[in-house]
Amino acid sequence: MKFIKEHLMFMLPLMAMLIGIEFILIFNRVTTSYEKKLKNEYAILVVSKRQLTTPMLRAINEKIDSVEPMDRESIAKEVTAGMQDSAMVAIMKDLPYFFRVHLTSYLSLDELKEIKQQLSSVDGILNVEIFGENYHAKHTMFKLVKMILNVFIVMLFVVSLLLVIKQMEVWQLAHKERMAIMEIFGAPMMLRSGILFKIAFIDAIIATLLNVFIFIYIKNSWASRTDITFIKENQDLLLNFSDFLILFVTALVIVAVSVFTVAIRSSEVPEG
Amino acid sequence: MASVITAQNLTLAYEKGKNIIINDATFTIEQGEFVFITGPSGSGKSTLLKSFYGQIKPYKGTLNVGGFDMKKIKKAQLLQLRRNLGIVFQDYKLINEWTVEKNVVLPLIITGYSLDVQKVQAEKLLSHVKLADQAHKYPLELSGGEQQRVGVARALSKNPFMILADEPTGNLDEFSSGVVWDLLENACDQLNATVLVVTHKIPTIFNIPYRHFIIENGGVHEVH
Repeated sequence: MKFIKEHLMFMLPLMAMLIGIEFILIFNRVTTSYEKKLKNEYAILVVSKRQLTTPMLRAINEKIDSVEPMDRESIAKEVTAGMQDSAMVAIMKDLPYFFRVHLTSYLSLDELKEIKQQLSSVDGILNVEIFGENYHAKHTMFKLVKMILNVFIVMLFVVSLLLVIKQMEVWQLAHKERMAIMEIFGAPMMLRSGILFKIAFIDAIIATLLNVFIFIYIKNSWASRTDITFIKENQDLLLNFSDFLILFVTALVIVAVSVFTVAIRSSEVPEG
Repeated sequence: MASVITAQNLTLAYEKGKNIIINDATFTIEQGEFVFITGPSGSGKSTLLKSFYGQIKPYKGTLNVGGFDMKKIKKAQLLQLRRNLGIVFQDYKLINEWTVEKNVVLPLIITGYSLDVQKVQAEKLLSHVKLADQAHKYPLELSGGEQQRVGVARALSKNPFMILADEPTGNLDEFSSGVVWDLLENACDQLNATVLVVTHKIPTIFNIPYRHFIIENGGVHEVH
């Protein structure tokens, strides 16, 4: 019972840290995907007296990806609906050109404002509409949630690391005599701490595997059944193969940090 | 003969000089000598021995052991020095979770010798200390005398240039004491190791020449 308790005392905080890391990885992927989606659906509206081309606007700002002309006739038809054909001709004569300007990546509001300013100064451009507020409202909310999550995960990480080190101290105490004898005979720290590494390494493997199983279950079972649209839409982003490696390496680093912290502190210091 | 220990006005103290144990001692010990250090309980015999393997640093004066200045010695150098010493303790200091065989070759494990070398050396040493049939037992399955013989075998396992023994026969019966003294005598006589033994009483029958230091009131005096 004591054996299981001691290992759980080490594994649970370690798992909490790994879950935190996995959440950060997932949220980063979701953010990237969301920004890509925003970018694809978004376009700046430009009204111009003359024709505009992609190379022309890219020369002004290289974050501009492409320029898509809007159908003037359909606009004129909408405006002249129920009127005579001559009205349509007259309007077509005076109607400016409309363009959708697509961007290379997701840009901040300041960058959009800068592009607006640059485009507005181009000869012949009558109006530029960036729809900035709509574009950023959702994204700002998203960033806020991400920041809160990161702060929470950092705090969780610190507390969990302290718990892991505490448990390592318990194990170090149990093997204190052996480590002291080895030190008297000249064993370096790595060799003296070998027993702690051995115990912690096995627990690190178990904790990583348990974490991966939890996220495999969430991805393949729970996410398919949930009513939360956001999770359903991002189901593919929940767990990647590379996550397993990242979690395992993180677990090993945590183990190394905790063992070294305890081993250095417990090392016999000559008096004098 | 080369000096293995040189102490010049050596002062050893605990609590940053508040509690002086050895005061202003000057002596030299040469390679291959057998040295007894005696003195009343609490006189500082064990503290002096501890200073030779860097468990306590000199408070004043200088102490040179195996070419290392023990006042300025760095951690890595201290471990290197210890790997070339054999140390025997009154309370044996064996690793109870390890077999007798593994305990004996601890210095070889630390130095990174192969398993084959470890096995050959363990067999040789255990037969030497008359414990060949106990190799796979654990220390707590042995008597005190047997445990101490394991301790001596461990101290000899890497042919150290110096053996430090703190009351090695303090808890032993006559037979085990005899075996331990024979082993230490042989180490000095045949392997040319320097042997320093802290003890309450020098054995009545001793077959090789030795030097004798007495510690009294913080001073270290040689008896001629």
